[in-house]
Parts: sequence; C-alpha cells; structure tokens
Amino acid sequence: MDYSEDHICLAAEYALGTLDAEERSQAETMMSTDTEFAAVVQAWEFRLGVLNQMVGSIEPSPELWDRIRAAIGISGEQQAPLVLPEAPLPEAVSPEEAPPDDMPLIDLSDITEPQASAWSPVVVETSNVVPLTGQAQRWRSIASVTSALAAALVALIGFQLFAPDWLPDALRPKPRTEVVEVKTSAPPPAPSAQYVALLQGQSGGPAFILTVDGTTRDFTVRKLGAPPAEAGKSYELWLISDKLGNRPRSLGVIGAGDFTARPILAAYDTDVINSATYAVTIEQAGGSPDGAPHSQPVFAGKLIETVQPR
Amino acid sequence: MLTPAELVWLIAAVAKGDQAAFERLYAATRAKLYGVVLRILRRQDLAEEVIQETYVKIWNSAGQFNPGLSSPITWMASIARNRAIDLVRKKSELSLEDEPAAMEVAADSPDPLARREMTEELKRLLECVGRLEPDRQKLVLLAYYNGWSREQLAAKFETPVNTVKTWLRRSMLDIRECLGL
Repeated sequence: MDYSEDHICLAAEYALGTLDAEERSQAETMMSTDTEFAAVVQAWEFRLGVLNQMVGSIEPSPELWDRIRAAIGISGEQQAPLVLPEAPLPEAVSPEEAPPDDMPLIDLSDITEPQASAWSPVVVETSNVVPLTGQAQRWRSIASVTSALAAALVALIGFQLFAPDWLPDALRPKPRTEVVEVKTSAPPPAPSAQYVALLQGQSGGPAFILTVDGTTRDFTVRKLGAPPAEAGKSYELWLISDKLGNRPRSLGVIGAGDFTARPILAAYDTDVINSATYAVTIEQAGGSPDGAPHSQPVFAGKLIETVQPR
Repeated sequence: MLTPAELVWLIAAVAKGDQAAFERLYAATRAKLYGVVLRILRRQDLAEEVIQETYVKIWNSAGQFNPGLSSPITWMASIARNRAIDLVRKKSELSLEDEPAAMEVAADSPDPLARREMTEELKRLLECVGRLEPDRQKLVLLAYYNGWSREQLAAKFETPVNTVKTWLRRSMLDIRECLGL
C-alpha cells in the first residue's frame, strides 16, 4: 500500500520519538491493525537505530537480573554466575591511539543541553550496587571513564556487530564452521514459521543470512560480512539437495544491496527446502550462464527453524 | 560483544524458551540497552524499570524477531527505546528533573566515532542527516539521543512548537529521500 506523507511522517516521528503520548498510542493502534504500517515504522527504527552505535554502554545494577528473572518466572536453580562477554578492548584501542584526524561527519559535541557543563560525565550511581567481581568490575570501569575511551569501546562494539571482517585477527570472533544444526527430519514448516541459515566460509564470520518464510517460502538474503563481489563477478545462491541428486539448483544472483528477496523457493518441496544446503559461489556478472556453478562454494549453510510455530 | 549472527542464534533459542540463552543475551546486551535508555530517562530507577520490561518483552516475543528485517541489537534497542519514550511522554506533566530522586547521569554527548570506525549504514544515515541545515541536524539528533519532545526542542531552539513540527516533518522526508526509501 502507498502511504500518504502524513502516514510516513507519523511512522518516522514515532521511530524518532517526537510524537506526544496521544499520537504515539494512535500510531501503536495503527501498527497493531496494519502490518504494512508496522513495517514502515520498523524500517525507520532500523534506519535510525544505527545512531545507537554512538551511545556508550553503561552497566545497570546487578540486582536487575534477579528482578527480570522473577518477572518472567525463571527459577534461580540453573543460574550460573553471570559471565560478561570477553572485552579485550583497552588493549586493542587506547584513547591515545585513536586517530584524532578522522573526525565524524557531524559535530556532535554540542548537542547536549545548554547546562551540560554542569553535568557530570557518565556516572553510574554506585551507592546501592554490590561489589562486582573481576571482569564485571573491569567492564564497568571501562564503560564509565573518559568519553574518548567510551568512543573507542563503542566503535569496537560497532565493529564486532556489523563487520567482523574488519577486525584485526586477534579480535575477530572465532570462525565457526558447525553452527548450523542439520534438521534432516524436520517437520513441514507450520504457518508463521521462520527459517534461517547462516552462510559462511571456512573462516571468518557469517557472510550472508538467509531467511525463509515457512508459509510463503519467500526467501530473503541479507548481506552481513561478505565483501562486495569483485568487478565483473556476482554472488549466486544455490540449493543443493540429495533429494534432487545433489545437482545445484540456482536460486538466483544475490544483489549488490543489503537485501535480496525472492519467491523462487516456492517451487521446491518442504522436505527439500528444510534439508538442503545453501551455497554461494562466485560467478560472472549476472550469474552462471548455463545453470551450473563455476566455482567452489565460498559460503554455505543449512536452515534451522528460528521461530516456534504457535 | 557478540556478533549479530550469535545474537540471532541466542534470540532463536530464547524463542524456544532456552533460559541459559536468555541469560547470555542479557549479559551481552544489557549495558548497551541501559546506556540508550538512561540517556533518555536520566534516572536510574526509571531506566532499570524500562530495561526490566524490555527483557520481559524480549523473552515473550523473541519469536517475532525477523533477522531479515532488522539487526538483533536494533530490534532490542527499539523495544527499550520505545518504552523509555512512552514513559517520558506520559510523565511529561511532572518534570523528571524536579523530582528529588532525579540523577544527573548519562548526560554526556554521544561519543564521536572516527569515520572509519562507523558501519556503512551509520555513515549513510549521517551523510543524509549532514545534508540538513545545521539546526535541523541538531534537532534530529537531540530528538533521537535524548528523547526530547517537540516542546523541549522548541524551548531549546527558541522557536514555536509548530515550527519544530514543520522542521521535524521536513527533515524526516528529506532523510527518507536521501536514503532512497
């Protein structure tokens, strides 16, 4: 559906946060009755959400986890001590090393309130916080020192989140070649089931995420860590199934953009879709001319169910 | 921090009721979400209340996360941010700063990142925001980072609320066009 400018602005301002309480609940009602409008809002949230990369991490109080656990009724029995993510940050990027010449595109330094100078820097109220141990303490102190260090920290989080391939070797997430569980006897997708496959190579992080809608069998390929295809080459996606004699069937060229969506899988049986290997090869621009791959798969993976049918 | 793919797996496991995965997800993301929310609410008690509601919602609706439409951290941050904004809008009649428990936290400006440290998506958005007039750049960023209402923005820019309304609307349409949405 084509939305009017008013609707688009309503969605945008909802995501931005500038609507008043009444307009927000209006927008929320629309989102709950109109999935397309909800998708417009979500697209805005996704576009604007990258701004959060620049917001520093701050540790909440440790008791918060207990309250959340109690709220959802998780028993405390299986609770292990919280293990914070490994954060080899200070060694990797110290504020002194942060290049001062690479300035951001927009000067953000003065967008705090006028009285900002009277405010303290990032401070976490510690009076009601029980002492943390080891790594947690370190994490917290990292998050609460100078803004330069916080900037480096946030930058690294941004890196690991979105572009693992840019990280120096030591900081790269460990290559995982066996992350995809094989579901050879998976039941047919129930309505609303979503399937996802991570397509990755022998080393490095996932290159693409493949999502299949269990109902329509439309699939979406989202570019993740894959480098852009070389000039004159294209990435092509293949389905390989022993039920089809292991001959790779083309699912088309993966576009240069972040997302590629296609309905082609509808032509295949549920069993084939569920058990197939999905592989990406490098072909000439526009894809293989003869319907067969011309390189070894550079990335591959299988589907798992990510959404429990309800 | 975990990779997006790892977060996708954790959310998938949470959708199936995996409590250990939920705990790992919480450990990996709580500080980021708390940082986002605390900037807007500027009170630890309210921010923690919102974070609690956020993770309860994540536990209950992890199955609705679609990795084809959003990154895991953006999805989670949107839940947290929306709750914070809802709270701050509903409480707008009583000024947060006036309450005795008000804390001056998280009042720092967003941390400037070196350009080469930004993701492509962030660069693209900032390029588009950067094409707006300087005042409107600040308007949009203040709205997003601090969760300010039109009234607060009007006071800051010493301009009528209706003008802010028009600026916001125009800015969002300009950004939309620039992003090619």
